[in-house]
Order: sequence, then C-alpha cells, then structure tokens
Amino acid sequence: MNSQTLPLSQETLAQFNHDQVVDGPQRLRRASVSTRRSSRDHSKDAFPSRPAALLLRRLSDASHLSPAVSYPASPFQRRDSVFFAKRLSVGAWAHGGRVSFSGLLLPQPVQEVRMENTYRMGPDPGSMFSAKQTQQILQATLDSYLDGARYSQNTCGQVSQILADLARSKIKDTCPPRYKLVCQVVIGQSGDQSLTLASRGLLDSATDDFAVATFQNGSLFTVAIVYGTYYE
Amino acid sequence: MDEFQTGEETTFIVDDVSTIIKESVEAAIGGNTYQHSRVNQWTTNVVEQCLSQLSKLGKPFKYIVTCIIMQKNGAGLQTASSCFWDNSTDGSCTVRWENKSMYCIVSVFGLAI
Repeated sequence: MNSQTLPLSQETLAQFNHDQVVDGPQRLRRASVSTRRSSRDHSKDAFPSRPAALLLRRLSDASHLSPAVSYPASPFQRRDSVFFAKRLSVGAWAHGGRVSFSGLLLPQPVQEVRMENTYRMGPDPGSMFSAKQTQQILQATLDSYLDGARYSQNTCGQVSQILADLARSKIKDTCPPRYKLVCQVVIGQSGDQSLTLASRGLLDSATDDFAVATFQNGSLFTVAIVYGTYYE
Repeated sequence: MDEFQTGEETTFIVDDVSTIIKESVEAAIGGNTYQHSRVNQWTTNVVEQCLSQLSKLGKPFKYIVTCIIMQKNGAGLQTASSCFWDNSTDGSCTVRWENKSMYCIVSVFGLAI
C-alpha cells in the first residue's frame, strides 16, 4: 500500500515545489490568511498573529503601491504610519478648528466680552423704580396664589420659593432697565406665637426703593418684600 | 470712569458677612427672653448694627438686611428669596440663631454698584 502511494506523493511534492517557486509569497499569504481565519475562534492563541494578518491583508490590497515585497517588516510599518497620519489631519480639518503645521489642533483663545462705557450717571427721569406699582403687583400675586391655602410643613417651603420666583418674574417684566431686584417671601403658621419682621437697607435714596405686601388667613400669614436697586 | 477696584474687592464674601451678623445678633439679643414690648427695639438694633458693620467694610456694595424674630411656640416658619442680579459679584447670606425662647433669622443681600 505504501508503495502505491509513493509515486503520487512524489508528484504532488513536485507540483508543490513548482508552485512555491512561481508565486511563493502569495501562496504563503493566502495560506496564512486562511489559517488565521480558522484560528480566529481561539482568540488567545492567535493574538500575536492577528496584527500580522491585518498587515498582510492591507499589503495584498494595496500591493500596487509598494514593489518591495521581499522585505516584509519595513513596508508594513511604513504603510501603517502613513494611514494613521492621514487620519489625524483629516479629522482636525473636518472639525473646522485651526491646525498647526504638524497637524495638531491649535487651542482657540477665549474671547472676552468687552463692555463699553455708557456714560450714564442715573436712571432716566421717567423710568425710576415705582414702589406703588410694585406693591400693587406684589399684593395681587399674593392674593391670587394663596387664596384658600393652608399651612403645611412639607409643602410651604416650596410654596414660598415658587412665590418668590413668581413675584420676581412679574416685577421684572414691569420694572425699568438697569435695576437689580431682591425679593424675599416669609410664610408662617398662624399659631399662638408672636413675630416681628424688620428690614432695612443701605441704599441710594434717590434711585432705589422697596415694596411690602402681606396676606393673612386662618392658618397662615405671608410677608413679601421686594427691593429694587439701580445698577450704576 | 474705569473701575479702580476689580477682582476680589468687588465680590460678596459670605464668611465675613456671616461673622458680622452673628456678632450683631449676640450683642443685641444675646441672653434675653422673648418680650413682646421689646421686640421692636431688638429688631431695629440687630438690623442697624449689621448695617453699620457692613458699611465699615468699605466695599462698593448696596446692602439689604432683613431680621425676623419669632417666639418659640411650636409654629412653623418658611422663608424664601429670589433675586435678579449679577451672579459673579452679588450674593446673600442667611444666619439662623436661637435661644430657649425665640428664633432669630437674619438675611443679608449684597448688590454690587
């Protein structure tokens, strides 16, 4: 039996040798790719060989670029570096940022907003903070929001914050420009206790003013104060 | 016309103001018991002392000081404030103080000129 197979093996050997001579490296490449495909399932075994497989595939795709096939080490590395550099520069330009000579992104300087001098000494004669108008708005807000409300420890904290924001936004719509507003709301339970609230400000009496509004029902009382100060 | 004081001089420093408030409250109502007839005087004292100490800081600020004195009787109290100002220069500070018979809540708002 062995003797019968010998001539066949010799033929195949001769054929094999012939093929090796003609397109040896390519044959090798194809073989290496196929083996690596099969060995992809064994990830840890084939790990060192996988980058080589990728490099070889790239070489086979772009084989027209480099004629030097006999030295596998240097063309692979050179081509890889070219690929990476091209990718970097394309990305930087695509973002629209400025790029330096080496291809790295230049940091954009933060542009400061420069304010010009307005040469204004005080508010316009007709546009001062009106305490009377503010007081009316404040009182109307309190009455409409708290009508029929009861004091509750859990919710009244949020209610006071909502009221303060609501009053501030309403008064901001009507108050003249260049005025800062401070709005404070105090909500307390109507019990047997006594309470005193005092407020004083160090302000410019010619341009600044304040307004106070109170609301009371069976279970709670509310005091709202709004100060308007001119921003010079 | 240009600003001569920039940077640290024109920001509201909460710690300094908080110390001033605590000292003023202690000095005005330190060891007293709640008395309805004297409360008006106390609130005025607290507020005036706070203001005079704040103006002595010498900063280009306008101040608003609010003081609430409440007797301890089991009732609840909530305060909230909402302000339209410049966040980088303006600020506020609230201090809660109490003794056996009363609560004292002081709020100071500082607005840069």
